[in-house]
Amino acid sequence: MPRQITLQEWDQRYEQLRKAGPHQPDYNGPLGRHVEDGDTRLLKLRYDNSAAALRLWNFLLTEEERLHRSRAEGKKLVGTMKDLGTVPVMAYSLDNIAAFYPDGAWWIPCVMESNTVLLRIADRLGIDESFCPVRAMLGAFLTGGHFPIPDLLICSVGATCDDFSAIAQRLNGLGYAILWWEIPHRRRPEPDEVEVKLPGGFQAPRCQVEFVKSELQRLKTALEELAGQRLDEKKLSAGIKKANMVRTLLAELRKLVFTAKLSPLPALEMLIAEMLAIHFCSDQNETIIVLKDLLEEVKARIKAGIGFLSPDVARIFWVNPVADLQVMNLLEDCGGRICGTEYLFTHALDTIPQDLPPTEALAQMALADPMAGSSIDRAGRICTDIRTFGAEALVISRIPGASHCALEGQVIGEIVQDKLDIPVVELEVPPFTDSMRPTLRTRLEALVETVRVRREK
Amino acid sequence: MICAGIDAGSRTIKIVLIETDTRRVITKAVTDQGVEQDKLASQLFQRLLKSSGLGRQDVGRIAATGYGRNAISFADTTITEITCHAVGVRRLVPNAMTVIDIGGEDSKLIRLDKAGRVRDFAMNDRCAAGTGRFFEVIARRLGVNISSLGQLAAKSRRPAPISSMCVVFAETEIIGLLACGAAREDIIDLPIVFTGGVAMVSGMDTALRSALGQAVTVSPDPQMTGALGAAILAAKQITPY
Repeated sequence: MPRQITLQEWDQRYEQLRKAGPHQPDYNGPLGRHVEDGDTRLLKLRYDNSAAALRLWNFLLTEEERLHRSRAEGKKLVGTMKDLGTVPVMAYSLDNIAAFYPDGAWWIPCVMESNTVLLRIADRLGIDESFCPVRAMLGAFLTGGHFPIPDLLICSVGATCDDFSAIAQRLNGLGYAILWWEIPHRRRPEPDEVEVKLPGGFQAPRCQVEFVKSELQRLKTALEELAGQRLDEKKLSAGIKKANMVRTLLAELRKLVFTAKLSPLPALEMLIAEMLAIHFCSDQNETIIVLKDLLEEVKARIKAGIGFLSPDVARIFWVNPVADLQVMNLLEDCGGRICGTEYLFTHALDTIPQDLPPTEALAQMALADPMAGSSIDRAGRICTDIRTFGAEALVISRIPGASHCALEGQVIGEIVQDKLDIPVVELEVPPFTDSMRPTLRTRLEALVETVRVRREK
Repeated sequence: MICAGIDAGSRTIKIVLIETDTRRVITKAVTDQGVEQDKLASQLFQRLLKSSGLGRQDVGRIAATGYGRNAISFADTTITEITCHAVGVRRLVPNAMTVIDIGGEDSKLIRLDKAGRVRDFAMNDRCAAGTGRFFEVIARRLGVNISSLGQLAAKSRRPAPISSMCVVFAETEIIGLLACGAAREDIIDLPIVFTGGVAMVSGMDTALRSALGQAVTVSPDPQMTGALGAAILAAKQITPY
């Protein structure tokens, strides 16, 4: 039966699985070993008890080892910063490049309670707690104790987080060369401009698409120089096709998990799975296998009519990823389940058009990024997805210091209430929520109670 | 049969006993909060039952609310103070559309729909300015009783700013909404009912009225509305009309 178990329980269960189960990937193993590496916050989480979830967690928590191995094997490493889902697709179109997402270092203090050293380094560099937790990335670069320093750093600027730009500029100032590329703020075409319909239902003028194409062309040249091979249209199309396999798997997973009568997979595992869309956890092929496993597990649970929560739990749509993973467990403790998410990279979950020239398709996807457009556009997409997944309430999670979260939450909340008349609550979720757990609990429980009372209509 | 509502707040514990069928209040009481919340609540509960000539067997259901609700071991269920204040206030002020609850250590704004159900809510628990704890500290500093703070303030001819923060709420989401240019009527539906222990501090309703630019009604028995709501919701679990 599906249920959520502790790390200690997982270690016992792992032994059973190992003895009875099929061949395990080389990165699998008891989850408890990651605590020995210092990931002590993992002790506070509750995990799905499936073998597929174990594989997902082990895949996530062994990324650094994978990157070091890639380097040892002679692969070139590309750090794709800020960009949420475009440059990794290009990089993985070349067989001797592994791309990763240094911004992901923001999770390090979230799972390694004792590892506040990264944040202290950022503090010393003038990037204090008024910035997004991504600032931990600065510490990870300076200590070199986490991911290997990439051979090429690419970072998007323009219509992206102001605070992230400041963090990346600070990194640049420390001597880490960065290849910048610009994403313009997406706007609707003027009457005399040619309109391009973007994935996700947005529009942009042709000139903006052309501009992004020219930016991607610069990146393509840099990637070719690094790889020592051409990134022609055939390779790029194949890369897009593979990225779409990930996106298609995730789309199916999201649809099944968010709409199933009984919740077949916890919010926490869904968050980790969705994140794979933007960074592939440094191994695109393995990402596909991990997601297929999860999907099979979910399908089997739905077919068997089993889930881990009661059928009457409140159906919650969640906006923005949390800085403290425990909060995803907390939602379920409070009587809610995830039925829809918008973690700032919805565009990376939509399939990339395969009937267009590949650079055009990627440029359109980059412009469809929720962060590249207005808050009103973002709220519109959220409303559409809330309807699709049948969510009954909205949680907007703010990340302290993240400029988008600070400004957009209220706009999104008001638009959703106006259009859908569902209750909305905003939460501020810092990397460590232990001391504020009672107040977070009250807000989430009150939201769930409000949903239940509304059902009595 | 009776039902009980226990509001284990950050500063005080309040208990209301009601008749399950009629929802009539039988008795109520309040005591100061302490380290042993469960024990204090239990003692108050036993005292109330005894003074009313009732026994534990007469109690059908107990609902706990408030910050310490999960510490009340003898409660059958827990409900947040947001839902309980909405129900309690609506019982006392049937046309209430907005509830402002200022308790010992936080403040809440609750919007209701026409049927009295919670539409949405905002909480400020990041800053204690304007809460009961804040007034306790001020009263102690001034060497006066908390109940005379209002009279003292009314005599002031040159109010001294104590900080750059708002007098009533600091950093609240409510003020945030106002600052963003939203029309007051879009944020707060009338009538507004002021509840929670701080509503008993004289002058606070005037300060709220002034801050909001709207009439504010102080709830009858404002300290007890959370416990009353909890008792009604407990009774609803037995007789849901």
